[in-house]
Amino acid sequence: MVAHDTSQSRRLPTEIVGGWDLGLLALMGLLYLGGVLVNSTYFGSIDAFHALLRDTARFAVMAVGMTFVIVNKDLDLSVGSTYGLVGVVFSVAFAPTFYDLGPTAAILICLFLGTAIGLINGVVVTVLRVPAFIATLTMLLIGRGIILGLTGGKSILYSTKAGEFPAFFSLGETNVLGFNSQIPIALVVIALGAYVLAKTRWGYETFATGGNEQAAIYAGIPTRWVRIRAYLISSLCATIAGLMAVAQDKGVTSQAGLTAELIVIAAVIIGGASILGGRGRVIGSSLGALLTVLIDKVLREGVPITRTIEINGVEFEVNAVSSLPVGAVPVFLGLLLLTAVLIEPYVIRRRLPARLWAWLRSRPPPPAIEAGGVALEGAQTTGSTASDKALTARGFGKFLARRDSLAIILVVALWLIGLYLRPDYWWHLPNTFAILLNYTELAILTVGLTYVIACGDIDLSVGAVLALAGSTAAYFLKVLGADPMTAVAMGMLVGAAAGAMNALVAVSFGLPAFIATLGMYYIARGLAAWLVAGQQLTGWSEDFNLLGRKVGDILNYLDLPALPGLLRAVTDVVSIQTLWLLLVAVIAGVILAYTTFGQSVYATGGNRRAADYAGINTKRVRFTALMLSALCAAMAGIINVAFFRSFNPVAGQFRELDAIASVIIGGGSIFGGYGTIIGSLAGAAVITLIRALLQLNIITASGESIVLPQHWVNVFIGAILIVAVISDIWIRQANILGRLRKALLRRKPTPRVTTRA
Amino acid sequence: MRRINKTFGAVQALIDVDFKLQPGEILGLVGDNSAGKSTLMKILTGAYQRDSGDVLVAGKGTDFRSPHESREVGIEMIYQDFALCGNMDVGQNIFLGRWPRRGLFVDRKKMYSDAGEVLQRLKVDVNSVYQKVESLSGGRQQSVAIARAISFEPKVIILDEPTANLSVMATERLLETMLELKKHNVAQVIISHRLQDIFAVGDRVMVLKRGRHVGERDVSQSTQEEVLRLIVQGDAEEKTQAK
Repeated sequence: MVAHDTSQSRRLPTEIVGGWDLGLLALMGLLYLGGVLVNSTYFGSIDAFHALLRDTARFAVMAVGMTFVIVNKDLDLSVGSTYGLVGVVFSVAFAPTFYDLGPTAAILICLFLGTAIGLINGVVVTVLRVPAFIATLTMLLIGRGIILGLTGGKSILYSTKAGEFPAFFSLGETNVLGFNSQIPIALVVIALGAYVLAKTRWGYETFATGGNEQAAIYAGIPTRWVRIRAYLISSLCATIAGLMAVAQDKGVTSQAGLTAELIVIAAVIIGGASILGGRGRVIGSSLGALLTVLIDKVLREGVPITRTIEINGVEFEVNAVSSLPVGAVPVFLGLLLLTAVLIEPYVIRRRLPARLWAWLRSRPPPPAIEAGGVALEGAQTTGSTASDKALTARGFGKFLARRDSLAIILVVALWLIGLYLRPDYWWHLPNTFAILLNYTELAILTVGLTYVIACGDIDLSVGAVLALAGSTAAYFLKVLGADPMTAVAMGMLVGAAAGAMNALVAVSFGLPAFIATLGMYYIARGLAAWLVAGQQLTGWSEDFNLLGRKVGDILNYLDLPALPGLLRAVTDVVSIQTLWLLLVAVIAGVILAYTTFGQSVYATGGNRRAADYAGINTKRVRFTALMLSALCAAMAGIINVAFFRSFNPVAGQFRELDAIASVIIGGGSIFGGYGTIIGSLAGAAVITLIRALLQLNIITASGESIVLPQHWVNVFIGAILIVAVISDIWIRQANILGRLRKALLRRKPTPRVTTRA
Repeated sequence: MRRINKTFGAVQALIDVDFKLQPGEILGLVGDNSAGKSTLMKILTGAYQRDSGDVLVAGKGTDFRSPHESREVGIEMIYQDFALCGNMDVGQNIFLGRWPRRGLFVDRKKMYSDAGEVLQRLKVDVNSVYQKVESLSGGRQQSVAIARAISFEPKVIILDEPTANLSVMATERLLETMLELKKHNVAQVIISHRLQDIFAVGDRVMVLKRGRHVGERDVSQSTQEEVLRLIVQGDAEEKTQAK
């Protein structure tokens, strides 16, 4: 077949652009025409077109960097927060209200920051071998936490001082030629990126690394450096984009760059890159950016409509704009991302258009491109000797050899620290109640997530599904006036639908779970915001709210007498959700530990191919696990709404971070095959206690009280997640401590004659 | 197997290949890379479907759609990377996918005692059935894979490059295990590049070249040099001569 192809065309294959890019251009033309037809006042003007190009410029710059990362078979979720963080750091350095530095110094600080983020991402992913999505997701959330911490949620503006430095700030404005200077900047970056990726050795190394890293290593390509380099390029591109943004806005808000990573990744994938690595073009990515930004704009601008209003019997026609509520746009961008990701494996590799065309002419279909034939997968069954210690250890050593021992020890230690810091308050009922309550929400999430992680998948959407189920329940209660049972059922139903979609994309379509659930992360949160848009959803039947009450409150509600003595304390601390959690956790724990289904979960996570050979329906196992995870998230969401007696759109935010960290701390492995319910529950307790400790009002000897601002807590939790993942990989799996000890023992003079295999 | 043909796209992987295996026989299947050894065995187990030809097991024609169906008539394959779950222990791996049950739950007692029995029958020493497979050496992992295979009470075991990842010691042990299995009247096929292993335990050796059966020798009446010559130079005439 290869010989056939070369004889057909003597020309070298095109590198910089291809047919895909032309198709994108045509699609964009059509879409813009559609925009003009629907909303001619906005899209018909030159200004709008100019604004489109201007706004695309920043995303296109980020997409250039992201292309390198994705072609490497990596992912960089942190670009959006890097973009925002650069803006914030520049502003903090430059603004007269803060450090009041010159623009050069501020830019240098930003470039340093960008380099540092890229290096950290690259080193954590390559040298420390943390999966790319988890490393950069943590970086994203840490970045967002720092943005909030630095700005305090407010905007920083400095237009007067910006006027003194036209050399830099004119870069964000319309130049003498009549177009915005960001456009040529973007064009330069694109041209440079396209040239490097398509024409230089750097680019060829990138394609080799993404196509088959093992082969690239054998060929002597320094793949680690290639991947670190891509992360550096990506975060430096985000830095440039962030600087372009401050040059334009002369200020920054704490929302800068929110969900920008979604637009950028969608752009690169739409541009023809494969999430499975080894494919992608810079030009395509920048066209993808143009298309994605255009879709984003169409969604945000809305459609002008004429509304008829009746006032005192007279009908007036009022011009209005029907647009999506704030927060709903990510729904479509998330869907777009998932669709785009499916295009490459299904439409291109399987030659869907060619088959359709052949079918229309009733000809035999062309043969599908043979896929996956060259994959050289290393045997998975090499690894730790750490788990072997459990056999020989005795007593406390036996406990230490368990994967969940760390979590249990930490729970005790953290609780004692709390007691030490605030002996007056820590162990009292209200605090215990508050801790237990926070714990319950997280613990329910981890129950489902343990199954998913043990299967070797991941669910990034738990926090968002929590919000979606909560908002659905609230919507049914308040807007539709449904009874509590219906509301609960609908919440669970929506959760199940989200889980089914996750599972469909991840299992049936065979995409990596992180990308499927990342799409759901945006879709679910967007839908939740959409449902509650503009309405204060609160004030409904107390019957529903009972789901979130203490046992004592329920006795009250049912006019039963309060219990005496110690039981009274128990009823004041234990709430319905805690009991529910107990029930769910016990059932899930028993199933995972003692049934054949549980064994199938571990087998699937340990070595999916081996499990398949052994006749385990691994698809069904993974499907079930993802469904279970979403259902648990839905339960947590419904309980959340019942507890607060209202729905708050930020419900469940950062919860995915907490939940994944809990499972990993509790003995799960990010590569699958490990994790127990008991461990995860202990891990959830660790995270809850850390949050409680960080928010504790510490009273010093001099009577001052210190409290850590809320925004910084998430930064801390993010750091804990990454430390947990790294120590799982290096201490539990690679047994670095054991090797160290062995190396030390070897220096001892007495040589050992027999060695155990 | 009679006159097996298989093509992949434009490549003819197997051309009219005949293949015969007696009970309790150890057959070495040799040939260059892409000679079609693995393809032939995968057709036997049902992992691939043949284009034409017949597969007869104990004289009866069969049509396996998947390896699970060939397992039912007693054909087991041991893959080069063993296909085990490293995160699970030896007992769990031997009963992978068919863990014994009591009521709703896994019958752990039965599982570990049965696993121990199988390992004893094989006369291999794995420290403990509670040991995690990922902490075992390559040779021991292979013993677990073989134990798993014989726990199905198979008539035929196919070993794909069994000695490729093993140390010299482990190879010795494997060869002993194979002779042990032979005593139990289990027929074995070794796909291998290492002729000395085949000559150490094998009864017969069969040579494939570019999808054709180019020769067959009794190990007792042949030398490694002769078989090597077949692998390198063998052609279709050789086949007619051999018959």
